Amino acid sequence: MNPTDTEVTPWSPTATWVVRGLGMAAAVAVAATVWLGLWVTPPDQAQHNLVRLVYVHPPIAWVALYLAFGVAAASSVLWLWPRTRSRFWDRLAVSAVEVGTVFTALTLITGSIWGRPTWGVWWAWDARLTSTALLLVLLLGYLAVRRVPADPDSRARRSAVVALVAAVDVPIVHFSVDWWHTLHQGATVLNANLSPTIHGSMAWTLLLGFVAFTLLFAWMLAIRYRIEVLSERLLDSELDVALHERWAEGTGPVAGEPGGALASTGRRA
Amino acid sequence: MSYIDAGYAIALGVLAAYGAILWRRRQRLERAAARSGGRRAP
Amino acid sequence: MWRDTVLVAGKDLRIELRSRVVMHQVVPVGVLVLVLFAFALGPDRAPMAKAAPGLFWVAVLFASVLAVQRSFAVEASDGARDGLRLSGLDPAGVFLGKSAAVAVQLVVLEVVLTAGVVVLYGSHIRSYGSIIVAGLAGTAGLAAAGTLYGALAAGLRVRETLLPFLFLPVAAPVLLAGTRAWQVALGTAGNVGNVGSAGDPWVRLLLVFAAVYLALGVVIFGPLQEAS
Repeated sequence: MNPTDTEVTPWSPTATWVVRGLGMAAAVAVAATVWLGLWVTPPDQAQHNLVRLVYVHPPIAWVALYLAFGVAAASSVLWLWPRTRSRFWDRLAVSAVEVGTVFTALTLITGSIWGRPTWGVWWAWDARLTSTALLLVLLLGYLAVRRVPADPDSRARRSAVVALVAAVDVPIVHFSVDWWHTLHQGATVLNANLSPTIHGSMAWTLLLGFVAFTLLFAWMLAIRYRIEVLSERLLDSELDVALHERWAEGTGPVAGEPGGALASTGRRA
Repeated sequence: MSYIDAGYAIALGVLAAYGAILWRRRQRLERAAARSGGRRAP
Repeated sequence: MWRDTVLVAGKDLRIELRSRVVMHQVVPVGVLVLVLFAFALGPDRAPMAKAAPGLFWVAVLFASVLAVQRSFAVEASDGARDGLRLSGLDPAGVFLGKSAAVAVQLVVLEVVLTAGVVVLYGSHIRSYGSIIVAGLAGTAGLAAAGTLYGALAAGLRVRETLLPFLFLPVAAPVLLAGTRAWQVALGTAGNVGNVGSAGDPWVRLLLVFAAVYLALGVVIFGPLQEAS
């Protein structure tokens, strides 16, 4: 039997070290962001304490909408392109989508929580929120397609197409909703843009926030990727075992007689 | 609880939970792979 | 490729002419949606008339899901799908052909629904031109995106629930732009700046959408078919 069939190589020492480092760096950076964001930085003139969510919401949004989605879309294209096709891209895509879904949902939730006291509404149909909501639905669609039982190649193919369509659709949606608002009655009242005068400890904390959540995403991506590798191989090996149990049944006792499949190899009725 | 605290709590809570889920899934799969890696088909 | 397009479109439309499934089931569902909305918004005509453009396009969207499902269901039996794949027809042609057939069916539906909206909701159409152009552009986009996803979901057991879930979010911009274009045509658009000027922005958006998904479909339909 080919030894590489059911064996999964553990991560090399460098890989383990890198991932562990990522995880620890992420944990430290996030903790620091929280500490700085909640206690050390001063409240804003306009938004008072509500501005503290700026250390959390925009970084999460950046990870969700650009980093995760970007990696997912790029990986999908690279998988679809015959010259660069490799299992690596498919696994990376699903990892990016899954982690990205969590971040996207959090983008909407933190955005909503920020919006409620700031603008009085839990939700508004502006371009950014609407496209983010749609992105979430599209990502869930990807995960749904992923769940359909199929051989890895077909599954990768279908998922990649879904990702590609989503990548094309989100800009169109964003653009059309934006247009909708500007044509309708002038700019929307919701302006999530930060005032350009953010400076001092607030600016540094914001930067740290972006770094922290990016590190966290990278760590989660790596772990999720590893999970994908392992579960693929496990599925293969389970299939192997099941197949061999079947074959063993064929050469063992007559069907109908209860008995262990593997144990009865070689016994004929 | 203020809005800010709720926001932070939810964001970090969800991320921590997801991180833990990922970690545990990986642990279980690593153990299963180590086991079945030794068990080759006859 | 174009020859194959005509071939496949012709085949699909001939099947439809003989079986009349779309005419007898999908179009009535579209009209039914309009009627149901009346139940939801009525009995006063005013809110219906105000919402008419949006309701029209929502009905079209739902019906297009059915039309796409039907388009692939005709090949589900007797291994026709594999036959099509192995027939040597250009996949891009198959894609365009199927999209064209779906588009034709949707246009028929839209004519009926337009009449329905005028009759049931009392809408007054001021500019037939923009309605027609918007309708055609939107339909092309829906047919293209729908056929692409239809192919993806075809043959899967969960296709009935998966297709709407995948397709409807992608179709959202068509709903948005189509509704705005209709509002302009009905004169209910309110303050929209360059109303009815040449190059109506919403029609342009519909055309871009259609172009993007037709192009995407042509490129990706072939590789997609390799998935079993």
